[in-house]
Amino acid sequence: MADSKGAKRSSIDGDSFQDSKRLKMVNGGGNATTDPKYNKYLAHQYEDGQNQNGFQSPLDQFQRHQTTAIQAANAEDSDLNPWTNKPHSQRYFGILKSRRDLPVSKQRQEFLDMYHSTQILVFVGETGSGKTTQVPQYVLYDELPHQTGKLIACTQPRRVAAMSVAQRVANELDVELGEEVGYSIRFENRTGPKTMLKYMTDGQLLREAMHDHEMSRYSTIILDEAHERTLATDILMALLKQIAERRKDLKIIVMSATLDAQKFQTYFFNAPLLAVPGRTFPVEIFYTPEPERDYLEASVRTVLQIHASEPDGDILLFLTGEEEIEDACRRINLEVDDMIQESEVGPLKVYPLYGTLPPAQQQRIFDKAPEPLKKGGRPGRKCIIATNIAETSLTIDGIVYVVDPGFSKQKIYNPRTRVESLLVSPISKASAQQRAGRAGRTRPGKCFRLYTEKAFKKELIEQTYPEILRSNLANTVLELKKLGVEDLVHFDLMDPPAPETMMRALEELNYLACLDDDGELTKLGSLASEFPLDPSLAVMLISSPEFYCSNEMLSITSLLSVPQIWVRPNNARKRADEMKAQFAHPDGDHLTLLNAYHAYKGAEQGGGDVKQWCHEHFLSFRHLSSADDVRNQLKRIMETQDIELVSTPFQDKSYYVNIRRALLAGFFMQVAMRESSNSKVYKTVKDDQMVMIHPSTVVSSPYDWVVYNEFVLTTKNYVRTVTNIRPEWLLVCFLSLFVLPFNAQLC
Amino acid sequence: MASSPGENAADAENGVNDDDDYDEIPLQHKRPFGTSAYQRPISFVPASADGGNLVSSSSQQQTEQKGEIVADWYLSIVSPNTTRDDSKATDGSPGEMCEICNLPLDSLDGDARRAHETTLAHQICIPHSHPPSALDRTRRGLAVLEQQGWDPDARDGLGASGQGIIFPVKVRPKNDHLGVGLAVPKNLPRSKRDGKPLLLNAGQVRKQVRDDVKKSRRIYQELFGSKNQDKLDKLLGRPGPAG
Repeated sequence: MADSKGAKRSSIDGDSFQDSKRLKMVNGGGNATTDPKYNKYLAHQYEDGQNQNGFQSPLDQFQRHQTTAIQAANAEDSDLNPWTNKPHSQRYFGILKSRRDLPVSKQRQEFLDMYHSTQILVFVGETGSGKTTQVPQYVLYDELPHQTGKLIACTQPRRVAAMSVAQRVANELDVELGEEVGYSIRFENRTGPKTMLKYMTDGQLLREAMHDHEMSRYSTIILDEAHERTLATDILMALLKQIAERRKDLKIIVMSATLDAQKFQTYFFNAPLLAVPGRTFPVEIFYTPEPERDYLEASVRTVLQIHASEPDGDILLFLTGEEEIEDACRRINLEVDDMIQESEVGPLKVYPLYGTLPPAQQQRIFDKAPEPLKKGGRPGRKCIIATNIAETSLTIDGIVYVVDPGFSKQKIYNPRTRVESLLVSPISKASAQQRAGRAGRTRPGKCFRLYTEKAFKKELIEQTYPEILRSNLANTVLELKKLGVEDLVHFDLMDPPAPETMMRALEELNYLACLDDDGELTKLGSLASEFPLDPSLAVMLISSPEFYCSNEMLSITSLLSVPQIWVRPNNARKRADEMKAQFAHPDGDHLTLLNAYHAYKGAEQGGGDVKQWCHEHFLSFRHLSSADDVRNQLKRIMETQDIELVSTPFQDKSYYVNIRRALLAGFFMQVAMRESSNSKVYKTVKDDQMVMIHPSTVVSSPYDWVVYNEFVLTTKNYVRTVTNIRPEWLLVCFLSLFVLPFNAQLC
Repeated sequence: MASSPGENAADAENGVNDDDDYDEIPLQHKRPFGTSAYQRPISFVPASADGGNLVSSSSQQQTEQKGEIVADWYLSIVSPNTTRDDSKATDGSPGEMCEICNLPLDSLDGDARRAHETTLAHQICIPHSHPPSALDRTRRGLAVLEQQGWDPDARDGLGASGQGIIFPVKVRPKNDHLGVGLAVPKNLPRSKRDGKPLLLNAGQVRKQVRDDVKKSRRIYQELFGSKNQDKLDKLLGRPGPAG
């Protein structure tokens, strides 16, 4: 503040005169103009005591659950920030003006009336209506958390959204992020004692509910993006439905961006609905006359066709994964060079967008479209080739054309084989409509679907399967048990999972000794649920002190909880592999990960540029440092749960052996044995699946028995991140699980 | 686009010939091979006006008059030229309807009723019991769910009113680029594996059995070999080798 004061002396002086006049009105007279204490630009000098008591807050006349939009608007317009009792900054009023232009702002009174009259409210607003940032603030001005001492929670399906929205809302309210407005995500909590409005991931709220079954800290819970139907949101909805019966003072708002809100209404005891129109323009939809033989080829051609013959406007193409996207980028770039030489077209810049792309490159999609090649030439345009993250979560302005081949990658869990895989499958009608809607954000647009209208009607399912039907539920069942849900069969989920999936989860937890034979939570299970990890990782961590290597297992667990730390750019694969070989441990990939982490920590302590070091060694600095954060978080949990942190001395010859044995404690169900003494094919012990070791492994000498971290289903079945084990370790630890079937067969 | 490589090859050839005759196109302006995709545009058609409301709501009616429909269908097969006389049926008092198939009964006495009950229309409408579920009854997960009141044979899902899905969501892996709605062409090259089941002769079967035995011996050796014998004995509570 001191800086801006110095820089803009004259204008500020003028403002302060006016402001203090306004102040006078707010305070209702007195010596406001003369007393330097009331000059907002000197307010920081009087921070102690005066600000809390000296002013009459604009909120003092507010009656909880009886406020009106006009009252709230007046409070927002006042010079003093009612939440901090500090004067509003210049920037605040600028943002306020743009906030008032949002579609949702016109219906503030309507929202408040409905909010006052009901316990549960379903709120539908298309993307761009401003619901995520504004509705929680409307609630804030009505709930008056400084009187009740209860918080307002707003859940988001994604970590990034929770962080960025919280930052935005903190700016809008003119408060410091982490003070009045904060966020809480897995492995990161940025809230304080003053926090009133808390953005959080849905999973994080669920974790909090484990220790506070009534969610008594909150007066209002807002479930945002409920249409995405994430696993955690589904569980939260079922929980809140129960809690709402017990706690009549708890208010619930379910916010959805799509029009299938009726399902939410029926589910929540016919709750009333408030719909806010988004800022959308009509989108014209086109289909192909015949089904396409190759959707990748067709999508490249369509992009070029649009570029050649449609008026300017950016293009968004949906493809399924990194490989496809990079391929399409390459092909389009080649063709465009060709086109520019052949005919009069403007330049076309192609940007890929997928989850594993580094953030800096992801940001590039917001770059402006390129300039015309020569003055007066046809304007350039950009083409973004994205996975379905561009479908709902991300808003890119300027998109006028959408190309939709009709596929996306979906995670599917098969409880019969216990394999979770990412498979390309046709999208749903709802998802196709969502994609089309992306074209109408700035002006009327067009959507080109690379399938026939008949296929749209006949082949596509109505709604995408919610995550709960497609996931391994082991973690969920553990959470539910901890949440006090006894009856899993009649738990009122919106879309209950298949019985077989539930049975499989119960069995897995039973093998891990987290549940007993009657399905009750054991002591180990209760402890494991304290960790925000998969049950097998949690059990591995909890039992690691028995093998004298909990420090090392802590590191390995953190490294397995972040994306791949190995970087392997297409143009330097060989170099990258050589560098990886430096860290290689002959006994397996888990130990190699550990080596890389130790080297990273060594580089960090040795001073120097760690980023540069990572770059040279083809390691991802971003993922390594986030693994470090995760490690600290997990360490804190281990300390509070009194789990010893021990290590075998490094010189001891059983150092690595202990680690390998500790791995088995959580992953004994994921063991594969070699088919015959000179084959490359392995067979998983639990389910008899034929697998090969993923080519990314460092393991060169073929071991007979390996433990693996994940099963990857692509054209072949692969197991990734493997480490050599000795079969007798299995025998000693887990006799009941494995040996008895063999025994029965052989004797 | 299966033909595209061929076309491109032809293009390239033409290009070479052209160059011999007219040397107009400078080298740097020559197209790289295999492109020109934009010259084959897709002729998109706009969406029809009716939107997506193809689903009719006749299902309710269907269940009410299932018997009648079956009867009509059967009649139309057996004697295509005769239509069932509806006037007679509607004349009858409402008390003479069969409770199961909703068809009118001629009379209530034993013989006529029995005759009616043997008709196909009536038989189809009798509620059937399902065969029991194929789930392995020894599974621990099943025991837990049964304890909480789920019946594997009732064909119910989970959830407050058993409304959940009965079988897990299934998706076929897709490793090609065929577009939505395209039936897989029959002449697609098959992988070697899916063919007829292999027939083995006696020698091969014997060899397979020998291999199996060898393999189980190896597993046995690994697990129960002399190195582990002590541990195993201890675990199983057997007396040691000495005793």
